[in-house]
Amino acid sequence: MKLTRSVFWIAPMLALIPHLLLNEYYQYLVNLTLVYVLVGVGFNIVVGNLGQLAFSNVAFFGIGAYASGILTTQLSMPWWMTIIPAGLAGALAGCAASIPALRGVRLFYLAIMTLAFGELMRWSYIRTPSLTGGSMGLSVPAPELFGWVMEREHDKFYVFLFIVVVVVIFTNRILESRIGRAFQAIKNDEKAAAAMAIPTSRYFLLAFALSGFIVGVGGAMYTALVGHLSPEAFDLVQLIQQFAIIMVGGLGSLVGSVLGAVLITATPELFRDWPGFEELMFGVVIVLVILLLPRGLSSLLARAHSVFKDRYYRDD
Amino acid sequence: MALLEVAGATVRFGGLTAVKEVAFEVEAGTVRALIGPNGAGKTTLFRAIAGEERLSGGSIRFQGAAIHDLTPHEIAARGVRRTFQNGGLFGDLTALENILAGLHMRTRSSLWGLLVNSRRAVQAEREATRKARQLLGMMGIGHVADQPARDLSGGQQRMVEIVRALATDPPLLLLDEPAVGLAPPVRTELLGIIRRVVEQQGIAVLLIEHAIEFVMTVSDTIMVLNNGELIAQGTPAQVRENREVLEAYLGR
Repeated sequence: MKLTRSVFWIAPMLALIPHLLLNEYYQYLVNLTLVYVLVGVGFNIVVGNLGQLAFSNVAFFGIGAYASGILTTQLSMPWWMTIIPAGLAGALAGCAASIPALRGVRLFYLAIMTLAFGELMRWSYIRTPSLTGGSMGLSVPAPELFGWVMEREHDKFYVFLFIVVVVVIFTNRILESRIGRAFQAIKNDEKAAAAMAIPTSRYFLLAFALSGFIVGVGGAMYTALVGHLSPEAFDLVQLIQQFAIIMVGGLGSLVGSVLGAVLITATPELFRDWPGFEELMFGVVIVLVILLLPRGLSSLLARAHSVFKDRYYRDD
Repeated sequence: MALLEVAGATVRFGGLTAVKEVAFEVEAGTVRALIGPNGAGKTTLFRAIAGEERLSGGSIRFQGAAIHDLTPHEIAARGVRRTFQNGGLFGDLTALENILAGLHMRTRSSLWGLLVNSRRAVQAEREATRKARQLLGMMGIGHVADQPARDLSGGQQRMVEIVRALATDPPLLLLDEPAVGLAPPVRTELLGIIRRVVEQQGIAVLLIEHAIEFVMTVSDTIMVLNNGELIAQGTPAQVRENREVLEAYLGR
């Protein structure tokens, strides 16, 4: 399994980054990229692998972030204990978001219904100030891991990197298996998938729940990173950014989600010194990638290693 | 008891009766063809057997148990497998992965097992892959195993679809226009494959087909559907001589 094996030498190299970058701000950006890797990995399962135009990703992200924030502020839980509950909250939201799809809603109709779910959640954050701090936002204490308070960005980095590596390895295992093939079969032809005795409804539910879990965990990391949650962070602009990650990275590609997250987070920052130019360049980069690499950045790698999924497919 | 028993099957769409009180049986180890003019209700009847259409009346029993209230994937799981008129291959997946999708039910790797990379899950995935390669090899298309299905030729795609449908050794195979768009030599090859699985493995085949010579050669029994009703059934020779069939179907 090339991907998993490569993780073992990529991860230590990434771990060197904090020592090379002394600037706290750049470290923050690297951490933000790691958050967006999970956002992209989760989003891509539903859009790229299952092939559904479901835009509930920001809802999962917000629910995970607020779940972590509320558990830390209301129940005084240490941050690390909120990671799994945030994932579960996201998974639950994923199950809820799959209801229209399970009832046969597809394409643009599904897109608009799931979009409404995201907006409904944003409205809910504003309307429940006792829990979420409403439009004023919710300030959370510095994240804590087994009693260790992570004050600096460099500290968070190692924890984030660990979570991301674990999630990517697990997701890869699922997507390379019969479960991943069932997702892709559904994307290609739902009727034919059912005719292969694949219980399509169950896989819809599983894909949404899995997506929700991963993005929810990403939300918990986001809470730890920014320390202050406000409803505006989970608006349509956020959705466009998340959608850009998977489009630029490559639909249905795990590696693509990672590359997309890096490019989409880095682009505006590279042009930060030229005000007004960053949004423009953000758009230019997206257009260029889509024009030159219609299948996203992942196609660059696919050319280098023609068979990425050689785990069970070796001809021996 | 026949393998498949269709009794009084009726499918109505609003005021239109697409299939009207159709009754027939399919025995194991035989090929039965369903012919008739366009709009006769052949595909609707097929879809009803596969669970994609609900019966308005009558019953469909498979291996003695009623299946007409089951969902398509439940019917497939019981051993009724089908191919599609316009090719139901998963184009993004390779030929091999298509067969693996056909083996989905037989691949016993659980979500948890896959997550923790358990020996059992890895073994199940490997075993399925080995079997899929072997099946493709047996049909003489082993060399295209790792190509995306959409890049294959029409004939290769049809073969992959049939291998996929047969992967789990289903007792009943439904073929929706298997010969359409195939070159004559490929048709002959397909005919040989169908007769072989029927005679050697005792599989029953129910097929819809317009290519009349193909039907006459491959079938043991032919049924003729016209305006949703069965107007004749019998051996190829009997159907060829039937006056009513000639009038309705061949327009003479």
